[in-house]
Amino acid sequence: MTKTLAYYPGCSLHGTSGEFDASFKATARALDLVLQEIPGWECCGNTAAHSINRLLSVALPVNELAKVEQDMKLDAVAVPCAACYSRFKTGAHEVEESEETAADVRAVVGRAYNGGVAVDNLIDVYHDAVGLEALDAKVIKPFAGLKVACYYGCLLTRPPKVTLADDPEYPVHMDEVCETLGCEAVDWNYKTDCCGAALALTEQGIVDDLVGRILTDAKACGAQAVVVSCPLCQVNLDGRQVEIAKKDPGWEGIPVVFLSQLVGRALGIDDKTLGLKKHLVDIMAVMA
Amino acid sequence: MATTCTPSASLSRQVTAGCDENAYKCYQCKKCTSGCPVARYADMHPAMIMRAVQLGQYDMIFDDRFIWLCTGCETCTTRCPQGIDIATIMDELKIMARAQGRIPAGTPSAAMLKLNYDSFVRWGRMWEVELITLDVLKRPTSVKNWLTLGPKMLLKGKINPTLKRGDTLAMKRMVQTAESITKAREAQNAGGQS
Repeated sequence: MTKTLAYYPGCSLHGTSGEFDASFKATARALDLVLQEIPGWECCGNTAAHSINRLLSVALPVNELAKVEQDMKLDAVAVPCAACYSRFKTGAHEVEESEETAADVRAVVGRAYNGGVAVDNLIDVYHDAVGLEALDAKVIKPFAGLKVACYYGCLLTRPPKVTLADDPEYPVHMDEVCETLGCEAVDWNYKTDCCGAALALTEQGIVDDLVGRILTDAKACGAQAVVVSCPLCQVNLDGRQVEIAKKDPGWEGIPVVFLSQLVGRALGIDDKTLGLKKHLVDIMAVMA
Repeated sequence: MATTCTPSASLSRQVTAGCDENAYKCYQCKKCTSGCPVARYADMHPAMIMRAVQLGQYDMIFDDRFIWLCTGCETCTTRCPQGIDIATIMDELKIMARAQGRIPAGTPSAAMLKLNYDSFVRWGRMWEVELITLDVLKRPTSVKNWLTLGPKMLLKGKINPTLKRGDTLAMKRMVQTAESITKAREAQNAGGQS
């Protein structure tokens, strides 16, 4: 059965993480999902807006939700970027919680948003919109027990008052998706620890520390690859290994793949479409 | 060493007026600090910031780099047993520090946030290549960070140099309205306090 979702790619998926965009769209096609990109979408405000202008940071995502609800007449939007997802969920939460905020946002957006759109992150799309059974039925090239550490990072589950995540300290939905693909999801310590996010632009030493700890634990717990669902987490966990290896000559790289690439590989989608060669630490050995 | 200070309620009042969070609920259990990924990299940490807000110690907060290292990971907010949205208080303190011109030296993240904001306000979408270029122009020492990773990412086709605009007119309208409503609220709050 075909299902239609609005699609909000966000700035990163049209910038440094083109392979996230391409692999997500390819898997959606294979899973009978129709994605309709929001016409003329704006930036969600990312990390900057909520520390500079609180009202704008709520209004920007709500404006997109109003477009989905009233112009596109759809009841769900897929937001694969974890940071954009967080802004969408926060925006919807804030206008629902406070009448004063809702009134201000209405003035900025120019119309009311009535709360009729579900916001799905990448894991929600595979785990719930498609469903594990339907996903399982489409797997034609399962992994033979590849050991993966599912890295959720910060904003897919936190804060739970906004995301309504089942277990924000030890989420398992991504693990369940990976196991449906034939992978073995390992238990580990750093599932929801922060990778340093945008500090990678200004405080590289701190990010190298944080990323080093996360990846060292993933390896210690037996993972052969780390799976992510956030463009910034991917760039940090993959890219900072270049610097980590300089400080620690014995460092053995660990591949950092997008969940959409892992799903795509199991669905039999070709390497080029999935952008498997765009990573700094080679992922072909684990994706073969 | 014993330290003393003269408490004042004004900072806590400003925080509550700005973001509707009550810092007085904090009883210093330090769960926020235990889980904070960047607490070890500054002199202050989340629980200290909360205490400084309660006591009105502006200098302790605004002279330290902690708030500018906060990544907004939401761990403190998630774990606070008192339900305080600590990450939102950090955002409010950043807004206040910027408004009062109290951004200390050695905090490039503060300028980066503004470059990022200006970029999506200008184009409707954030343009990564513009951010990096303006950062290098303003802060030439940062060029070495880009020289290590930039060429590798370019070779892999990870960097998309083209500008993709959003609906820039709609963005401009929303930014102007949001900024004027915010200013009016601030004036209202300032009037209420005097």
